[in-house]
Amino acid sequence: MISFEKHILPNGLTVLAHYDASTPMVTTNIMYKTGAKDEDPEATGFAHLFEHLMFEGSVNIPVFDTPVIHAGGENNAFTTNDITNYYITLPANNIETSFWLESDRMLGLNLTHGKLETQKRVVIEEYRQRYLNQPYGDIFLLIRPLAYKKHPYMWPTIGKDISHIEKADDLTVARFFKDHYVPENAILSAGGNIKPDEVFRLAEKWFAPVPARKRKISNINSEPAQNEKRVMTVNREVPANELLMAFHCGRRTDRDFYVLDLLTDMLAGCESGRFSNVLVREKKLFSEIDTYLTGETDPGLVIISARLRDGVDISIAEAAINEQLQRLCNEPASDYELDKSRNRYESHNLMAMTSASNKAFNLAFFEMLGDASDINSESDKYMSVTKEEIMETARKTFNPENSSVIYYLAAKR
Amino acid sequence: MSKLNRKKQPHTITPSAGIIPEPVKVMLNEDVAVYLVGTGTEDLLRIEFVFDAGQVEEKLQMTASTTNEMLTEGTSRHEAIELNEAIDYTGSVFTPVVDKDNAGIVIITLLRTIDRVLELAAEVLYNPSFPENEFGMQIDRKYQQYLTNRQKTSVVSREIFYNTLFGESPYGRITTPEDFRTITTNAVREFHSRYYKSGRLYITVAGKDPERALPSLEKYFSGHRTDNNNKIALNTFPEKIKPLRHFSEVPESVQSSIRIGWRGVCKDHPDFNGLQVANTILGGYFGSRLMKNIREDKGYTYGIGSVAGSLRYGGFISVITDVANQYREETIEEIIKEINKLKKREASGEEMMLVRNHMMGDLARAFDGPFAVAEALRGVLDAGLSMDYYRKLEETVKTISPGKIKELVNAYYNPDEAIIVIAGAK
Repeated sequence: MISFEKHILPNGLTVLAHYDASTPMVTTNIMYKTGAKDEDPEATGFAHLFEHLMFEGSVNIPVFDTPVIHAGGENNAFTTNDITNYYITLPANNIETSFWLESDRMLGLNLTHGKLETQKRVVIEEYRQRYLNQPYGDIFLLIRPLAYKKHPYMWPTIGKDISHIEKADDLTVARFFKDHYVPENAILSAGGNIKPDEVFRLAEKWFAPVPARKRKISNINSEPAQNEKRVMTVNREVPANELLMAFHCGRRTDRDFYVLDLLTDMLAGCESGRFSNVLVREKKLFSEIDTYLTGETDPGLVIISARLRDGVDISIAEAAINEQLQRLCNEPASDYELDKSRNRYESHNLMAMTSASNKAFNLAFFEMLGDASDINSESDKYMSVTKEEIMETARKTFNPENSSVIYYLAAKR
Repeated sequence: MSKLNRKKQPHTITPSAGIIPEPVKVMLNEDVAVYLVGTGTEDLLRIEFVFDAGQVEEKLQMTASTTNEMLTEGTSRHEAIELNEAIDYTGSVFTPVVDKDNAGIVIITLLRTIDRVLELAAEVLYNPSFPENEFGMQIDRKYQQYLTNRQKTSVVSREIFYNTLFGESPYGRITTPEDFRTITTNAVREFHSRYYKSGRLYITVAGKDPERALPSLEKYFSGHRTDNNNKIALNTFPEKIKPLRHFSEVPESVQSSIRIGWRGVCKDHPDFNGLQVANTILGGYFGSRLMKNIREDKGYTYGIGSVAGSLRYGGFISVITDVANQYREETIEEIIKEINKLKKREASGEEMMLVRNHMMGDLARAFDGPFAVAEALRGVLDAGLSMDYYRKLEETVKTISPGKIKELVNAYYNPDEAIIVIAGAK
């Protein structure tokens, strides 16, 4: 159970406060409800590029990092398809610095052409380092456009094409800030050794003067139901074949998220999952196999990624995975298996609560999804999943017409 | 209400390391030290078993890591599938951990399943069966990973760097395809029976209620007393390292990995803490000189950093980055330029204050929460030190003079003696 208090400022900013006296620190987390899905299809990668620019100084503060360091803190940020999230962790005594910094960069940035050009280069190197210079690194650039044809989840946060970053100009960047970095589009969440009243006092002092502005409503196409299996084959200089399968599923807030989260844990969440026991150990088809959900605010994907052992035919490997998926559709899971996944959920959930910064982030995340207090009903949702629901959801999800498959083949030299 | 002054940072207090937690030490059966760290809010414990069973002890390449990875692949009582079912059913997570000096397992578990989890832990650590079938699968998996790593510029440059520093000792040896054919279950079994002994073990328990682990630790870990606690003395490093510039081709890579470095000193050496400060100025934090120059000013890289690290028998200093192939010469030049600046001119008072505050913040965060404290504790126990180390580090960070830092850079960061390794496309 995570206790918290909530307050909304007149300019629309939502403020959440969680008190945890066991730490000497406080994390101030600020989440903007803007991610890659809010980008113009002709100017993708902007939410992420913008995350870089947010550290280049704001209207009244020339350098962002130095005051954080002087106060003994650390800060960072990340971008997803749904959100851009910033956080600063400071000793509790010095927490006001984070309110000063974050409110100033909500007021406005201090961008110059030179800074933009440098960060464009940094982002291009990030793209090379993460996606191109890693064996199998580009597979995540390929799967999104295969699975999504209309919805902006079709591009990854780094962008649809790196030329969009190369072409980014000062004007487009300035407009992106005006459209999205507004109080009503943000959630401020403070967690740690600070009383809620003090959080609200500081929020009032620093953020209330930030003028209310309307956020631009993004025009997001919904993804039509898929009715045909999609297949892509690529050849790359890698040592082993890889198989990637993606199935459309519901939103993070839908019931099937919880069912699928337990179900994928049963398949490959742990060493004793069905995929591991049958496909890795018994049939010796794969050296590694993993499943997970993208867990996004709009309907997301269930992903299965599998590295094949030498000499295994990829169509046999795929058939073996499908056989396991069919088993889920046709036979109820055992009580034992369901208990195992519930036990694992319980401990993983507690692990995520061992730091105040995680709690601050999670509160903001659930508020972004609809209501921060839902964080306290998550556990019940997992525990109430039944065997019937698992079969029903498996049938709905794991049919071939709903799948996109990549055969990532090791090119023969 | 007075107008807000947005130009001025709100009043701050100079950061301090805070209270450095002192673990409670309990002996099991007079030979295994258990360190209890009582902090945190959740009904969880993190329990780590650390043996002197790292790579440094191995005669055959990969023996330490293979032994460690095989612990959860079957025991005298359970086959691999049953064993993993039993572990997973408790909800706990067992992570085998192996590095150059040590090996063991980190367990994160719910308090309510602690007895069963520790029973399984004892089984895994003291009675693994190393079945031939699982061994074969593990070696195949490692070989596939090895081949994948050949394509990573960062891995290739790291291997050559360590090989140059530490020669053919277990710290420096480079794995070859031949090694995957040489290793056997017998070698692994022998390694286990020699090194996974209670005389070579210590345990850390961190969480809200660490005493709760003691009865089960007594029950399952008291009966394994042995006297094998000899540590080997690793002294096969090359005496003098020749400066070297090495290039390894990784075809078609779009970036090059660069490592520039030297031999350093161990954590118990009087210069070690001062080097931490010097290194932080150069490349140890986001505001470092290298980050400012190579990333924030020139945009050549997504990241650049440097470390002054310590293994049990030797230290190293290295600057690490990945840059576009076309910027690699300029990047090396700029790195050397930044080092030369530090050798010639003392850091300003302002920069010193910034770095001191950054390092104090880092220290304070190192003791924030049970998982962090457990890791901080391991960092000193492995070096044969106590939490007192952090008090000394705090003192150095507060008081070291810019002159001393300049002196250390001149002693340890000498561009003419550097090993420069590049891996990338031609």
